[in-house]
Amino acid sequence: MNHVNVRRSAAASPGAGLAVALAVALGLAAGCSAERESGAPGRGSDAPHSVTRVTDPSDAPDLIGRDLLVALAQAKNFHHKAKVYMSDGNLAAATASVRQILSLPFPRGAAEADDVRNDARALLAKLLISQGQLDEAARTITEGLAQTQRESFFVANLYTVQGEIHEVRAAAADASGEPGRPAARDERHAAIESYDRSIQINQRLQSVLMEER
Amino acid sequence: MARQHDDTLTGSVPDPETEPAPGERAHARRFAELVDEALAGRTPPAMSADDRALLEVATVIRATHGSLELSPARGRAVVEAALRQAVGAAPAAGGSVVPIGRGRGRRWAPWIVAGASTLVAAAALAMLWLRPAAPSAGAPIGRAAVPAEWRSRPADALIGPIARDRAGDASARLDTIFADRLDGFRARRLGQRGTP
Repeated sequence: MNHVNVRRSAAASPGAGLAVALAVALGLAAGCSAERESGAPGRGSDAPHSVTRVTDPSDAPDLIGRDLLVALAQAKNFHHKAKVYMSDGNLAAATASVRQILSLPFPRGAAEADDVRNDARALLAKLLISQGQLDEAARTITEGLAQTQRESFFVANLYTVQGEIHEVRAAAADASGEPGRPAARDERHAAIESYDRSIQINQRLQSVLMEER
Repeated sequence: MARQHDDTLTGSVPDPETEPAPGERAHARRFAELVDEALAGRTPPAMSADDRALLEVATVIRATHGSLELSPARGRAVVEAALRQAVGAAPAAGGSVVPIGRGRGRRWAPWIVAGASTLVAAAALAMLWLRPAAPSAGAPIGRAAVPAEWRSRPADALIGPIARDRAGDASARLDTIFADRLDGFRARRLGQRGTP
């Protein structure tokens, strides 16, 4: 009797074990698949994502979420702080406040991040110009142009400020007398190039916007 | 008597050429009668250990010569037990014998079930991995279904070209962007609440 039961269990257990292992593997695969479909948690969703949740258009990762608003609000605060410092004549503190906007964490992929940072760089460069730090201002603009991902009116504005820097340098070269005339001429040419780029970007973007409307 | 029997099994073996002694003849005759009675099913309840040992040997010798037959009931029981053991089945109630074919089916049933389960699971896994991924969040379908003002997007359309004399007016532009995105966030939240 006992040996019969032992033989029966020995014959059934491999099949049962295999079936259980496959069921577990199937469950894991289904979980992975559902997770793959749901995508990474986006900034647009405020509720935690479930792996079994069906894709919902209102869960798109580029939706405006709290994280984006918080980042924008913090940038607003730094701008306001900088304005107060500027009204008080403390340009160094205003510069430091604007510089903090550049390190604000924005949601990954947020288009507003580039715009806000480029606009902050433009203001930062103007503040540095007003403090006579032309090289630092030029570096600020160059870094912004290097990091930008797309053309925008804010990028065009960076070129505008870059042109202003060249104009200031040209004026400084002119002020140095005859020896500085060639450098002043080069700076004016560079300023014109920067303005031209700004104008071209503005024209392209306006055309695109007009077509979209 | 017991001593004599002890001598029969453990004592010296007599020469086969010598004439048997009267005692040996009497012992042989008595043992023959004992074997006859045992084969007839009338085994005496008490006998000496030597006689029992000799009787068992005689029974085995007879069985090996094929002259021993089982009764029909006993034979059927032995066959049934052998079949049950062969097919791995439980002892049949009422003495019925399980057919060998059905017994083999029972033995292979778990493997057939496991094999079928394997095929189904493999097919399901293949479907899960090979099918094209469903449109993820943010894909064109989702984008088309969501109002533009709900989404994070470039602020170019909102701000427009920046005049040179407004190049440093980043604070005002940021106020505009923030107000617009806050409106979009609120509209989205209200819109989602209104959705059944």
